[in-house]
Amino acid sequence: MKKMRVGAVVAVAGVAVALTGCTSAGGGAADGDTIVVDMWAGSEDDTAALEAQMDVVREQNPDIKVELRTAPWGDFFTKLTTNMASGNMACVTGMNSGMLASYTSGFTKLTDDDLATAGLAASDFAEGSLEILSNKGDMYGVPFDVATMLTYYNEDQLTAAGTDLPSIGWTFDDFEAIAAKATTDGKYGFGIGMGDFQWQALPIAKGGLQPVAQDGTLQLTDPAFADAAEWYAGLVTEQKVAAPVASASDGGWGENQFTSENAAMAVDGTWNAVGYLTNDAGFAAGMAPLPTGENGNLSLILGSGYGIAESCENKEDALKVLGSLLSKDAQDYIASSGRSYPARAESQPLYFESLDEAYREQVEATFVAAFENVQGQYVSDNWAKVGTFVQPSLVSIYNGQESMSAVLESAQQQFGN
Amino acid sequence: MTITNAPKRRSGSLAKVEARQALGFASPALVGLALFTIVPVVLSIVMSFFDWPTFGERTFNGGANYARLFEDPNFLPALRNTIVFTLLYVPLSVVFSLALAIGLGPRIRGRGALRVLFFIPVVTPMVANVLVWKMLLQPQGLFNGLAQTWFGVELPNFLADKNWAMIMVVVMSVWQGIGYNMLIFSAALEQLPESVMEAARIDGARGFRMTWSIMVPMISPAIFFATIMTMITSLQVFVQPQMLTGGGPGNATQPLVMWIYNQGFKFQDLGLAAAGAWILFALIITVTAIQFKAQKRWVHYEH
Repeated sequence: MKKMRVGAVVAVAGVAVALTGCTSAGGGAADGDTIVVDMWAGSEDDTAALEAQMDVVREQNPDIKVELRTAPWGDFFTKLTTNMASGNMACVTGMNSGMLASYTSGFTKLTDDDLATAGLAASDFAEGSLEILSNKGDMYGVPFDVATMLTYYNEDQLTAAGTDLPSIGWTFDDFEAIAAKATTDGKYGFGIGMGDFQWQALPIAKGGLQPVAQDGTLQLTDPAFADAAEWYAGLVTEQKVAAPVASASDGGWGENQFTSENAAMAVDGTWNAVGYLTNDAGFAAGMAPLPTGENGNLSLILGSGYGIAESCENKEDALKVLGSLLSKDAQDYIASSGRSYPARAESQPLYFESLDEAYREQVEATFVAAFENVQGQYVSDNWAKVGTFVQPSLVSIYNGQESMSAVLESAQQQFGN
Repeated sequence: MTITNAPKRRSGSLAKVEARQALGFASPALVGLALFTIVPVVLSIVMSFFDWPTFGERTFNGGANYARLFEDPNFLPALRNTIVFTLLYVPLSVVFSLALAIGLGPRIRGRGALRVLFFIPVVTPMVANVLVWKMLLQPQGLFNGLAQTWFGVELPNFLADKNWAMIMVVVMSVWQGIGYNMLIFSAALEQLPESVMEAARIDGARGFRMTWSIMVPMISPAIFFATIMTMITSLQVFVQPQMLTGGGPGNATQPLVMWIYNQGFKFQDLGLAAAGAWILFALIITVTAIQFKAQKRWVHYEH
């Protein structure tokens, strides 16, 4: 009996091992000749919009079978990690500029020939946009939308405080003056950032330098960036124009302070422009590019797009699908639906036409000015570790228990080599 | 001890048929056990001896991951945080829930309803609990608002202050988990034999003496069970610090499980994460073994 039981357990365990080891390779094909497109979608609207783009793909490639797979943003990258680990990544996979560094090994590097096969030309895209899904000089994907960081403001609050409104060409001195004047009656002039882009945007703009060099070297302690970051923390600790953060888990602190009318200004991406302009609280909102400092007003160009899986067995068809997803028809759809600001230059005007007339002009002027001085984001190999170290420390910095320079120095020492 | 005669062995073929039937009934559970317990456990041991990125080549590196653990600037603080949390949380949780269970004794009217109220935080989603506590603790929150209005005192920024963050994680966790242990203790108290209690009363035991010398020893198996389970769950704490403080400020509230999560899922270093997980396992098994050893001194199983 005992032997039999042990044998049975071993057999069951063996079956289990065999089952868990039974992962199919082959680029996530639904069946042999189907090209799978994997993209995040958080709602029925998102999925419907993606299906509309897939219709363009089917129309342009009647001989290729395509299938769309989606997962919400929060699950997409967990699923992608699993798919990559099991060699089951979809041939055409969505990717975001902020996430690319951790997933480059899953994507094939795209060449000029690949772009030609996809029917795309670099000149089709807005300036700098092809840097979005590039890492250390290699291109891993083509973007469908572009974004950058802006300053959003509560017009009602600033008008009541009797300050000027942020405008194109404004300076950091203007920013400080407006923030100081708007800090009144328990309200603050500015909502301090906790998210990676949200807190780094102003130091990068002020210092005219990214915390990582183009070759991936960490330069957190470069005086241009470190001084600007110190100034940024000082908005809470010295100038007291921003409220200290309540907890390190408040990733969207500054933006939430802004939408809940506790802060008159906040820095956030262009992807939230329409959301802020039509905010639930009902206040009049406006937007301006990041202020200009002595070193200009450098901003990062961000966005999302599609790449081809390294494991894809039918790269040529996958490239054709990618080309159709980035074609004028698909980009025009994205733009005219107002979903996001397209990467293809000729489709961009349609985005502004989709907006309410009341703020169309302001959005267009701000976007044009903000995208004038943009640079692709550079990241180091262990950029995720840098973010995970610095972000919870920002709370202590804003709370006056640690200095920005000490935290940046510590991060540089730990992750700089 | 009485010796009974073993039943006569049934014929071999029948035993075999029964064994097969039993195996058939047990097989779904065995497959589940193999798939979701045995295989992952074995795999994690193997993983901990490899340089195992989520994707890419895996190479055997002997015990290098275990050595790397102690070079990581966040590992030892995470281990310390886990131990500090456990040392604060377990006694507080057990003492308060025991006091609550005794307090909600037979003389309290509507004690069933009160028990349900205290049990609610155990079953409500942690996200909701954390949101409520954040609203209480943040600078613009209820506590600071009341302190300023009533006493003109500004309270610290509890969740962002290095000296307060861990205390608040413990306080919130005690509040959240108190109902569970309370229910265990209440059940044990309800089972106390009336004859023993009566005898103690006749002997003049009252109040604290009755509680400390009669009731507590008699429910010591329940206290032992609650302590063991609370200890194990507190060494695995993750959600409360993750959602309440994000492991911050700095790494002041980052527990070991969050460190493991970061290594595995954020930094995609599964080998190092698995090594950290085995250190945690060793810690849990050691503490549990010590508790089992120590129980002989204070747990009384016979009434």
